[in-house]
Order: sequence, then C-alpha cells, then structure tokens
Amino acid sequence: METNELQNIWKNIDSEISLKTTEELNQLLTIKTRKTINKFLFIFIIDVIVCVGLIVFLILTALNRQSDIIYLINNSILCLITLTALIISLLSINKLQNNKYNLSLKDWLEQRIKLLSRWLLGKYSKFYIVLIPILLVMINLSIHVYFEYRPFLEVMKNGESIYGLTIGFLIGLFVSYFAISKIRKYQIRNLEFLKGLYSHLDNMH
Amino acid sequence: MRNKLDMKSLKEEFLEILSNYQGILHKVNIIYFRNTSDREDNFQEIIYQLWKSFPRLQNKNSIGSWIYAVSINTSISKIKKESRIEYREKLPESIDKIDIIEELSLNEASQMLLKAIYNLNEIDKPIMLLYLEEKSYEEIAEIIGISKSNVGVRINRAKELLKQNLNHLNHGN
Repeated sequence: METNELQNIWKNIDSEISLKTTEELNQLLTIKTRKTINKFLFIFIIDVIVCVGLIVFLILTALNRQSDIIYLINNSILCLITLTALIISLLSINKLQNNKYNLSLKDWLEQRIKLLSRWLLGKYSKFYIVLIPILLVMINLSIHVYFEYRPFLEVMKNGESIYGLTIGFLIGLFVSYFAISKIRKYQIRNLEFLKGLYSHLDNMH
Repeated sequence: MRNKLDMKSLKEEFLEILSNYQGILHKVNIIYFRNTSDREDNFQEIIYQLWKSFPRLQNKNSIGSWIYAVSINTSISKIKKESRIEYREKLPESIDKIDIIEELSLNEASQMLLKAIYNLNEIDKPIMLLYLEEKSYEEIAEIIGISKSNVGVRINRAKELLKQNLNHLNHGN
C-alpha cells in the first residue's frame, strides 16, 4: 500500500468523526474541573483531618500528663513528625496537581521519570522502612499509656502491656508495609513503562 | 489574580480554539483507546489539561502543536495509570473488539488501517498519526521532542511496521 493511499484512507476515518458543539465542550470542561477540584479537596481534607486530629490528640493528652516527662517527650517528637509529614504531603499534592502536559513528548517523559525516580529511588525513598516502625511504636505508646492512667515507665514495666503493644505493633507494621509495598510496586511499574518509552524515543538513530 | 471578566473571555477564547481543533483530540483518542468509555474519560482529561495550560500558551501560532502535545502526553499518562497496555511491539492477532469501528461505520480499508495502527507501540502511534495528518517534519519534531533528522528515520520505521501489520492482517482475512 502506497503512502498517499494510507493518508487518503486516514482522511476517510477523519471525515467520519462527529464533532461536539461548543456548548458540549463547555459542559465537559465544567464537569471535569468540578470533579478534579472535588478529588483534590477530598484528599486535602482527609490529609488535614488525620494529621491535625493526631496533633490535637497529642497536645491534649500531653496537657493532661504534664508531670510525665517521658510521655511529654514522646508526644512532642510525634507532633513534630506529624507536622512535617503534613507539610510534605501538602507540597506533594500541590506538585502532582501542577503536572505539566504542555511539553514535547520527550520532555514530558523526562519530567515524569525524574519526579517518579526521586520519589521511588531517591536518597530518602527507603526512609519509610525506618520511620514507620518508630512512628508505630510512638503512637501505640502514646495511646496505650494515656488510657492506662499510669505513668509511662510504670506501664512499660507491666508485662501485659508489653504483650499487647507488641501485638498491636506487629499488626500495624504488617498493614503499613503491605500497603506501601503495593503502592510502590504500582509506581515502579509506571516508572518502568515511562523509561521504556523514553529509551525507545532516545535510541532511534 | 484574574478577575471574573478576564476569566470569562479567556474561557470563551479557549472554547473557540477547542471547538476548531477538537478533531486532534478525537484522533489521538482513537489511536490510543479501543473502547468508548476510555475515550470519553480521556477526552475530558485532555480538555482539562489543555484548559490548565492555556494561560501559559505563548505562541498562538503553534496551537495545533500544543494541542497534539497535551493530547498525546495525557493519553500516555492514562495508559500508564491504568497499566492496561504494555510497552511492546504487538502481534496483529492481538486485536480484538474495537468500538470505534462500529461507531464510525468505517469501510474495510479504514478498519485495516486502524487495526494496524493499534498494533504499533505507544511511541510509533503518535508519529504515524502526525505523518498521516501530513504534518511537517519540523512540527513532528516539536511535538515529539526529537531532531528533524530523526523524524525521517522514525517515520520510515513506523511506516515499515505499519505495512507489515497491514500485510499480516490482509493475509489473515
């Protein structure tokens, strides 16, 4: 089949496409904009509620336990980590929203690969392996010690408490690692897909 | 911050451009997505991404290239998200149901061409589309982000694959 012939056949496909009216296009844009804003707001609100809720809990419980220094230190560190996590997550959501599509295909692929690589393979990408157990221990302790109505050190000497905390910690650890590994696997697959496309584009001499 | 009046005139201008160039969105959609609901979702997503980047569009002489670039990048992003399509050269036999063929009631030659395009990989698809749309090497280079000399090499390779796919499909019938 000759080149011109292919282009003529393509013109036939082109001529069959039914176009939308300006009103229909406007409606589609309005619906999509609303959906995207709602999705963004949903993630934003959940993120803020969880983090701010935890911070409020930590502050209130610390105020009720002003004499327990270890408990205060535990809650202060947790508060600081939660606040940092909230700021980082809000910045990341904002960055995701600003994904630029008005670039050439090669530049767009490069931009996405860089961003995903930084998240998945960057210097701090494995930091969660250390951070999650520490956070789980601290959160478990903060909640458990508070509702035991006894000082931190006293609770830690109680065998039953240690047993409960260990079980809670192990379940939390399993759920967290499982969820993160699922998300990471999905994102790594995406990254490989993009890298495949990029290398195909790059090796065409 | 833009005031309401600016925003309204900007939206009107955008919708007018979109109305005139929407064929590009439909065609990019056709080459990437086989079923109607995926195409509708992606069509909306492309409109939204175009609207988001419209205020930053500086060169109004290259509106076509801008629309092609955003449409192609958004479509690849959707493929990636859904992970349904893998990056590989596909065998022509892998084609199953394609909604658009029934929707547009295409003749046999058009059906064959569309099936052959579906069998190209995700990079050759837009290159072939731009070639079939008779875009200049310069425009193709700008949209894909490769040099003009590479465009020629790439088109020849994609054309060769397309012809192989067409032959395969013809012999299969």
